[in-house]
Amino acid sequence: MDDMQRSTLWTDALSENRLTGTWRNETPDYRNLPSPCLGACPVSGRIADWIGKVEKKDYRGAWETLVDNNPFPAIAGRICHHPCETACNRAQLDETVSICALERFVGDTALSEGWAFPAPPANAPAQSVAIIGSGPAGLSAAYQLRRAGVGVTIYESQDQLGGLMRYGIPAYRLEKSILDGEIARIIDMGVTVKLNTEITGAAGLQELRVRHDAVYLATGASRPKPLPGVDYDQPWVQDSADFLAATNAGQDCTLGAHVLVIGGGSAAMDVARTARRLGRKVTVLALEPEAMLPAQRAEVIEATEEGIEFVTGAMMQSAEPGTDGLRIRCTRVDFKRGTTRGAFNITPVEDSEFTLTADAIIPSIGQDADLSRWQDLLAGDGPVLKADASWHTGLDGVFTGGDVASMDRFVTQAIGMGKEAARSILVYIAPDVGAADAPADDPEAGFSVINTAYHPLAERNKPQNADVTARLGNFKEVQQSLDQSQAMTEASRCFSCGTCTYCDNCYFYCPDMAITKLDGGGYEIKSDYCKGCGLCVAECPTGAIRMQEDL
Amino acid sequence: MNMEMINYKDDGQFCSGHVACAGCAEALALRVIMNAVGQDAIGVVAPSCSAVILGGHPMSSVKIPFIHGTLESAAASASGVKRALVAQGKPDTTVLCLAGDGGTYDIGLQSLSSAAERNEDILYVCFDNEGYMNTGGQKSSSTPLNATTGSTPTGKSTRKKNLIEILAAHRIPYIATTSPSHLNDMAAKIKKAKTIRGTKVIIVLIPCLPGWGVADNAAVKTARLAVESGVFPLFEVEGGLTYTMTKATKTQPINDYLSLQKRYRHLNDEQIAQIQQDVDEDWQRLTTRAIEADV
Amino acid sequence: MNALSSNKDLQLLNGNHAVAMGVKLANPHFAPLYPITPQTPILEKLIALQSAGELETELLTPESEHSAMASAIAASATGVRVFTATSSQGLLLMHELLHFAAGARTPIVMFNVNRTPASPWGFWPDQIDSLSQRDTGWVQLYSENPQESLDTVIQAFRIAEAAQMPVMVNHDAFYVSHAVEPVEVPAQETVDTFLPAYKAGLHLDPELGRSLGAPIDQKSWNESRQQMAAAMATVGDLTASAGQDWGDLTGRSYGPLEQYRTDGADVVFVTMGSMCGTVREAVDGLRARGIAAGLLKIRLFRPLPQVELRKALADVPCAIVLDRNYSPGVGGVVHQELKAALFDMANAPRLHGLLAGVGGVNVSAEMIERLAVEYRDAVASPDPVWVEE
Ligand SMILES: Cc1cc2nc3c(=O)[nH]c(=O)nc-3n(C[C@H](O)[C@H](O)[C@H](O)COP(=O)(O)OP(=O)(O)OC[C@H]3O[C@@H](n4cnc5c(N)ncnc54)[C@H](O)[C@@H]3O)c2cc1C
Ligand SMILES: Cc1ncc(C[n+]2csc(CCOP(=O)(O)OP(=O)(O)O)c2C)c(N)n1
Ligand code: SF4
Ligand code: SF4
Ligand code: SF4
Ligand SMILES: [Mg+2]
Repeated sequence: MDDMQRSTLWTDALSENRLTGTWRNETPDYRNLPSPCLGACPVSGRIADWIGKVEKKDYRGAWETLVDNNPFPAIAGRICHHPCETACNRAQLDETVSICALERFVGDTALSEGWAFPAPPANAPAQSVAIIGSGPAGLSAAYQLRRAGVGVTIYESQDQLGGLMRYGIPAYRLEKSILDGEIARIIDMGVTVKLNTEITGAAGLQELRVRHDAVYLATGASRPKPLPGVDYDQPWVQDSADFLAATNAGQDCTLGAHVLVIGGGSAAMDVARTARRLGRKVTVLALEPEAMLPAQRAEVIEATEEGIEFVTGAMMQSAEPGTDGLRIRCTRVDFKRGTTRGAFNITPVEDSEFTLTADAIIPSIGQDADLSRWQDLLAGDGPVLKADASWHTGLDGVFTGGDVASMDRFVTQAIGMGKEAARSILVYIAPDVGAADAPADDPEAGFSVINTAYHPLAERNKPQNADVTARLGNFKEVQQSLDQSQAMTEASRCFSCGTCTYCDNCYFYCPDMAITKLDGGGYEIKSDYCKGCGLCVAECPTGAIRMQEDL
Repeated sequence: MNMEMINYKDDGQFCSGHVACAGCAEALALRVIMNAVGQDAIGVVAPSCSAVILGGHPMSSVKIPFIHGTLESAAASASGVKRALVAQGKPDTTVLCLAGDGGTYDIGLQSLSSAAERNEDILYVCFDNEGYMNTGGQKSSSTPLNATTGSTPTGKSTRKKNLIEILAAHRIPYIATTSPSHLNDMAAKIKKAKTIRGTKVIIVLIPCLPGWGVADNAAVKTARLAVESGVFPLFEVEGGLTYTMTKATKTQPINDYLSLQKRYRHLNDEQIAQIQQDVDEDWQRLTTRAIEADV
Repeated sequence: MNALSSNKDLQLLNGNHAVAMGVKLANPHFAPLYPITPQTPILEKLIALQSAGELETELLTPESEHSAMASAIAASATGVRVFTATSSQGLLLMHELLHFAAGARTPIVMFNVNRTPASPWGFWPDQIDSLSQRDTGWVQLYSENPQESLDTVIQAFRIAEAAQMPVMVNHDAFYVSHAVEPVEVPAQETVDTFLPAYKAGLHLDPELGRSLGAPIDQKSWNESRQQMAAAMATVGDLTASAGQDWGDLTGRSYGPLEQYRTDGADVVFVTMGSMCGTVREAVDGLRARGIAAGLLKIRLFRPLPQVELRKALADVPCAIVLDRNYSPGVGGVVHQELKAALFDMANAPRLHGLLAGVGGVNVSAEMIERLAVEYRDAVASPDPVWVEE
């Protein structure tokens, strides 16, 4: 009797015999996608990845991920213009993640822990690359080449390494010990350094080209743009680069009690704030109206806090010494941004002249690259050197990058360019060793793929500034670092856009048990059962899985 | 990331190859429930989507045995299983009863009420998809105000029945609500219920993809918004008197929840305002009760 | 006389209490019960026995017969022996579940007290409640008196469990249910010898994990009915052997049919239940008057023992069916069934279908004698005839 009943009344198998995978049109695909912050990051740092490690208190791991692309996290964590934060998906929910401050936290941790880069592999066959200039571009390239085992010699005209990071950016934004620490770590990898060695022209470049397997030219842009109608020989005029180089080197300011800084960019802010710290009364005169100043907003605010006056939307016409200082005649201007970057149009406003008084002026309207010395060998491209997409100049084996080759004049841009050039150089000197991964054309993990239900609103941990009163009269860093608990909570605000956190949501939200957890970590779709509903994708907090049409 | 990790253990008690719609939240809930209940259990399932999901003769998608019973008598059947187990000297085996809202709020309310009054030692889970979905989507007494169904083409003119208050009046030891957007909550409530002797009823909100007009990948999102907007609060009632909110806050207006569903797409602003007002008042009443229970 | 039955325990019991005593002896594990006149004394007696510690059965008193049957099915499917009892409205309320129980092959034994269904309300003996359930797949047995009810309920468990089919035993309201008679209550050992301890077939068991009654395709559903047909085909023999074995133990034998003084009969009454007692009296009276009358009692109505019926009525000149039931638009159910059973039989009797006793009206022995005289030579009409005292 039982046997008979078995066939029609009692189940005798599990549903696993039924392959519901045939219902499906689309299959989920696990693929880490680039986050918007990564897309915006000049060094293409895997931000989601290292922030995830910070959250897990794996600072060492975070640092290692960071320095894969950028050997200067402590520096970048202080002075990067952080386009990543502008691009950050979280800004569309509440506020951006404090990526930059977190980077500083990791970088500082590495310095205080004394973490070093691993010894490079043996340099065989013995290959060497000459690097001209030790700014961020040159040092970044040196680091990446040395990591690959290539011999590197840096030629630097100054007596110290660092380029504008040392003699441009003031210590209240980037403490010298930090700069020294992060540079020393690179040199300790076995980089040969020739200081006080200026490569003066084409002949020198040729010679290096012969002596080395390749040359990287990263001499920056340090020739001041002259302000028309100003006599730079007057004792009451000092160019901003000289002013910053001197003050950064610890020399005192020789100018009078009230200085007029001309220019509205970041360099002008650094000049103004440095002079202010040296006890000067400071006025900034800029062509742009206040809202359009090219300096970063925070810099303007901080300068104002520090007692710096701004005269904006105006232009100097002449400066003459009078009985009690300079009489500086100005006129208001109508400022219009041009179509290309940095270009503008101004029309003086009629009958709007006015006069300012000051003891000295510091023109700070930008710097040009000095291309003239290379002109016999290397072609220019407008204000910068000409190079192809792999940073190869027209001269075989000579690569370039940084301010001398680009108008993207930021430290991290220079670091990124140095990294890219290093990769090209490796391909150039040893094609079988250095081939770069083909760039994936994966779409960015934008805000729409983030399931914000898993990301409760949380206040941003912003780095705090030192009190204004404590800032004047010294060069102590203005911006303070996050403490460990702030860093942890801030790291936990990161959506981890496009990067799997192994949260298991996809696994648990599958109504068909069609996702297996793999032993070594990660997941696999069981195509026999997946119905293609897309719940796993919808409930992924990070957008690290997406539906792909079945073929 | 600052999120709660799902942490129940899947021991394979619910199997792949079942015939639930792609993206079905009832299948998702069954996965949690079957694993939380474990192997020492016998089930009763009333005609409903669950019966279809569990079956498909000669295959079963669950490892514990189930009897596919009648629509109106799930609780009575469960009582019979329990008594048989007692007679066999196996009183600790869990008796799990699964039924839809039609089988619970409507046609099965009589037998459920009786089982509750007798305080039968059963764990009754109602998959509340707010309609008769297995028959193609008609209204039940759980269908909410204004929702369209096959039998309320212009929207239901009356409110959803408050089954929990009815059950609470029976003073049974445990009543709870849970949602497929809160899988840890679901697993915890099932496990808690398992330890309690007597009648336990757990109502699980199930956004029905075709029935509510929800996208294949949106059942969990819809359920989550139901919870967060207070349309479907998560709470427990112990002994019929002690109310405890298991998710204490209501953070969303109902619009997002309503707008995910085709059954509400005909609503005008006034109707939406009415629903919002009802939800607010119900929430107020419920949370007040929970606070009173706390003192 | 058998050794066991020499040690007789005769008790004055009404029909329902006799049933309860039979149930006690069969010792089911589970019995859900819901009151209804005239079944209630079965419920009360079982509860009284349990309160007195004389019955171990797990009793359940749910809110309806519907839930009683639902729980009975589920308990049976879980692997225990189950009994329930009802009447009329209660039976009809169970209708959906009667199909279910048979389809699920749950060997439940149910006692039904035959009573008029409303409307209008009435509480009188009439068999249409159970006869209208004839297509549900339940085995149906009809008992004539309290002793037979006790004996049959015990046999019913054996038949049900052997065939894996539910069995319904019926007796008439009041005429049997409340009629007090001396009833021999067999010893427990007698019953234990007859009815072995319950051994469940395939059942709901976490260790087996197999589910019952999941949705199925057409072909398999069809097959399930063929399997039921095969099971039903065993019931006639099971009923015969159970009745025989019971007779060996108690001296009271039973079969699917019983023939009383049918040898050489010119006219044979065919009926079920308490009517049989009255017919016996009438047969004796008629025989005394020289009219060769007899009684063919149908005890097993489902499955209908067609072969035995044809044999019993072969060459009988006239048969009169007394139906204490009425199927509107057709007539007496037994009459209809018999017509079908005798179809195409060359030596079939002239078959009269008389609606006698519908709604519990009295049918006396004198009336039956009168009917024998009136109908034995009459031409049989295919239509039923309402007869009255
Ligand atoms: C005042 C100031 C503040 C700035 N603040 C920021 C900031 O906050 N954040 C930011 O991202 N960017 C800032 N920048 C821009 C940033 O510093 C530059 O974009 C960046 O340093 C460019 O790097 P580089 O390696 O190309 O050149 P540089 O940093 O200019 O380095 C070039 C190096 O080459 C050496 N060199 C030049 N010619 C020769 C030669 N012929 N032979 C040998 N050595 C040579 C130089 O001495 C120098 O060390 C600032 C710039 C200035 C001027
Ligand atoms: C007595 C009875 N009437 C009607 C049906 C048909 N029927 C089967 S499932 C169902 C709907 C059940 O709705 P619900 O309990 O909410 O479950 P859902 O299908 O929504 O999962 C109905 C009416 C039935 N099986 N039994
Ligand atoms: S949330 Fe995190 S991963 Fe996403 S863009 Fe912002 S920092 Fe990058
Ligand atoms: S849901 Fe979690 S585990 Fe799955 S892909 Fe997304 S981040 Fe990774
Ligand atoms: S949730 Fe499961 S069934 Fe749905 S798409 Fe993802 S793996 Fe497939
Ligand atoms: Mg429903």
